[in-house]
Amino acid sequence: MSVAEVSVLRSSEARQARWPAPLVVISLVIVALGFTAAIFSSIIVPNAEQENLLLGISQPSWHHVLGTDELGRDVLAMLIAGARTSVLGPLVIAVGSMVIGNIVGLISGYFGGWVDSLAMRWVDMMFSLPALLVAIVVTGIAGSSYAVALIVLIVLFSPGDARVVRGAVLDQRHRPYIEAARLSNLSSKRIMTLHLWPNIAPIALANGFLDFAFALVSLASLSFLGLGVGPGSPDWGRTLSNNMGLLQSNAWAAAAPGVAIILMAAAMNVLGDWVYERLEARGLEQ
Amino acid sequence: MTLLQVRDLAVKLRERTLVSGIDLDLVSGESLALVGESGSGKSITARAVLGILPPGLQASGKITIDDVVVDGKPELASPLRGSVAAMLMQDPFTMLNPLRRIGPQLADSLPRGARKGEASRRDIAARLKEVGLDPAVARKFPFQLSGGMRQRAALAASLMRNPKLFIADEPTTALDVTTQREVLRLIGRLKQERGMGFLLITHDLRVAFSVCDAVVVFYAGRIVEAGSAEKIRASSEHPYTQALLAAEPPVTGRAHVLHALEGSVPRHDDVLNECAFAGRCRWASDACRSGSPELREIRPGHLSACLLAGDLSSRHFDFPQTGPGEAIERSVSEPILRIEELSKTYHGTSAPSVSAVSLEVGQGEAVGVVGSSGSGKTTLARCVVGLETPSKGKITLADSDVTSWMRLDRARRRELRRVVQMVFQDPYSSLNPARTIGATLREVLGAMGQPSDAKHVNELLELVQLPTSYAARRPVTLSGGERQRVAIARALAGRPALLVCDEPVSALDVSVQAQILGLLNRLREELDMSLLFIAHDLAVVRQVCDYVYVMRSGEVVESGPTAAILTAPHHDYTKALIASVPRDDRSWLDS
Repeated sequence: MSVAEVSVLRSSEARQARWPAPLVVISLVIVALGFTAAIFSSIIVPNAEQENLLLGISQPSWHHVLGTDELGRDVLAMLIAGARTSVLGPLVIAVGSMVIGNIVGLISGYFGGWVDSLAMRWVDMMFSLPALLVAIVVTGIAGSSYAVALIVLIVLFSPGDARVVRGAVLDQRHRPYIEAARLSNLSSKRIMTLHLWPNIAPIALANGFLDFAFALVSLASLSFLGLGVGPGSPDWGRTLSNNMGLLQSNAWAAAAPGVAIILMAAAMNVLGDWVYERLEARGLEQ
Repeated sequence: MTLLQVRDLAVKLRERTLVSGIDLDLVSGESLALVGESGSGKSITARAVLGILPPGLQASGKITIDDVVVDGKPELASPLRGSVAAMLMQDPFTMLNPLRRIGPQLADSLPRGARKGEASRRDIAARLKEVGLDPAVARKFPFQLSGGMRQRAALAASLMRNPKLFIADEPTTALDVTTQREVLRLIGRLKQERGMGFLLITHDLRVAFSVCDAVVVFYAGRIVEAGSAEKIRASSEHPYTQALLAAEPPVTGRAHVLHALEGSVPRHDDVLNECAFAGRCRWASDACRSGSPELREIRPGHLSACLLAGDLSSRHFDFPQTGPGEAIERSVSEPILRIEELSKTYHGTSAPSVSAVSLEVGQGEAVGVVGSSGSGKTTLARCVVGLETPSKGKITLADSDVTSWMRLDRARRRELRRVVQMVFQDPYSSLNPARTIGATLREVLGAMGQPSDAKHVNELLELVQLPTSYAARRPVTLSGGERQRVAIARALAGRPALLVCDEPVSALDVSVQAQILGLLNRLREELDMSLLFIAHDLAVVRQVCDYVYVMRSGEVVESGPTAAILTAPHHDYTKALIASVPRDDRSWLDS
């Protein structure tokens, strides 16, 4: 038994025997909470944006766990309502840029030649742009719409996916199983989707998780600056900028959206690593 | 004086045992070979001795090196590593740091404080000279050296502190046959001159017999036979050792039948209370399965763990019988493949990989292309199937010009892909790990215009002698030999007239190699197929090919009927290749 075989064996046995690390469990809980809030916010807190000017700013209490803001809105309810744009937006961006990036990366890596050069020069060009600045300019010009912000971020994020996927494809392209598939009269489309992609999926998926984390922060930054989501929206970035002035009166209101952004992004990073390791361990076994 | 003593060594991976009950003794100046197929536990044993097991593996038992108790514990063994005991690893290509010159890398083996200065330079020059390298090599980078030179440099590094015990783990497996012979000769000479104790790990019994005084045969994590090389060679007392010897293809002729061992090596834990080899042994009886046989002395200095040992020599074990049946004349009626003046130069290289090669494969003929690595034989094969496009020359396949597959129109290309197919060298990467065997075969059947139902998948599996239940399995659950069978089945889906095999057995153990060679011969006959067989091993080529081309540095230096070329070679290179085929005595190393 060679040493490599033994280490593969070890990783697979370890995988079966062990629970995921505590950090992974915590991250799973955070992400699950975030998505539950995003999907069911209209059921959980139907009146999140209801103002109570008479109450005004208040410290945390039984009625308002995180207190209220200047307009008397419940901070926790706002946080839950804000998850919709703050969490689902990055999901759309991550999935969108994964789809575009994977298609471009697969084609570019598999065919090579001028197709590859063209795609990679596009990637180089996009990499040379300061992403957030472009997003600010475009959303500024095209009008501050949430959809425009999503589209711009998809376009800006997909080159990263494309390059990562292309690299993984180049590593697989000259393996005998791909060459054998080519010799067996299989169409290029079939080879790319059924043979190449499943074997590079760990990298592509892990990269998607990272995209999500970056998109979350980028989107929050945009709305912090007043771009993307409309005024009055409970989006975390927006709430963060609104509640900045409350640090003295109700620090909870100022901190909550920022903490939510950080926790969610960090948890996604941890999960991305974890998913990659698990899928890779399976790949090694294979 | 006993240099290395191992008593009752066991290595565990959590609750799983990988090897157990290992006893070894090595005296200064003697040499011992640990022989076994992959998965037998020979490498693990050697690593346990030096305390360099991969993380997670636990060694237990008594180990002393030069009267120091190490017991396989890293903290006890590490002071001895380099100074008392040194190890040479398998792969010379990854063993040296590519960014550092050879000299400083050798100096790293010296104690701290002795790495710089005139004395260390003299030391380095002396070691390099000892391994047959020019002292000027010290200023070179690894990439400036050939594989053989790198292995010599690595050998020099492990000798820097004059170890008493020298361990070599498959030192020549990654090298060419001709280089293998040189390195083995060098190791043989060094061990004699220095009087070191030498532990060789190898899968090749012939190498073990010709280099070492004593041989220990491993199977499924246990020792099944041990004794002097002389005694085991003359009359082995374990069916497994015999089977290994019988599976070895002879270079002197074509064997009527190569005796393959069916099945594969079991896991150590699955055969705790029986003879580990019982499942594959032709003489296994109930007694063999009712308890694990102890190693016992058959005659002085010869131990075997077979119940029948002592009585085995009376039983007839058919060693490969060679004889007539090899064609002396070539009778090519209608060539299926004709290559004319083919050249291929890769982008960014000046020397062509293949230069002006002409070759023919007749209908139903098996043609071999032999040469060491870098001879261009694989490039040639890849040009034939269209994985590379030649720079010059012409390839005609079944009366069609296929010099450039890219230029063929789609329909014609699809049609011709049914005429020629390829089997690749590495069975571990030639199947898509994400798909089941059945899905792979079904898909290829469909693409080849055959009905792609379960019935035809089963037919393909039966053709390569695999159980039809394998259709539901994934490649990870298959052994190397089984994967290679699936790869052959896949290539046969379109019933090609020509099968190109690129080193199909070089990554396999010898017993499995015999299975695959037998399978290829049978398939060729049954399906009336032509073979273009690429290999570096002349003995293997002799078992399969009627006609052979010998390639060196991109050119064909000699060609002719296999029997004629191998018995009466003309070219010096062919002679050198034949001399490099391992024999089971010292003769091939001495001459």
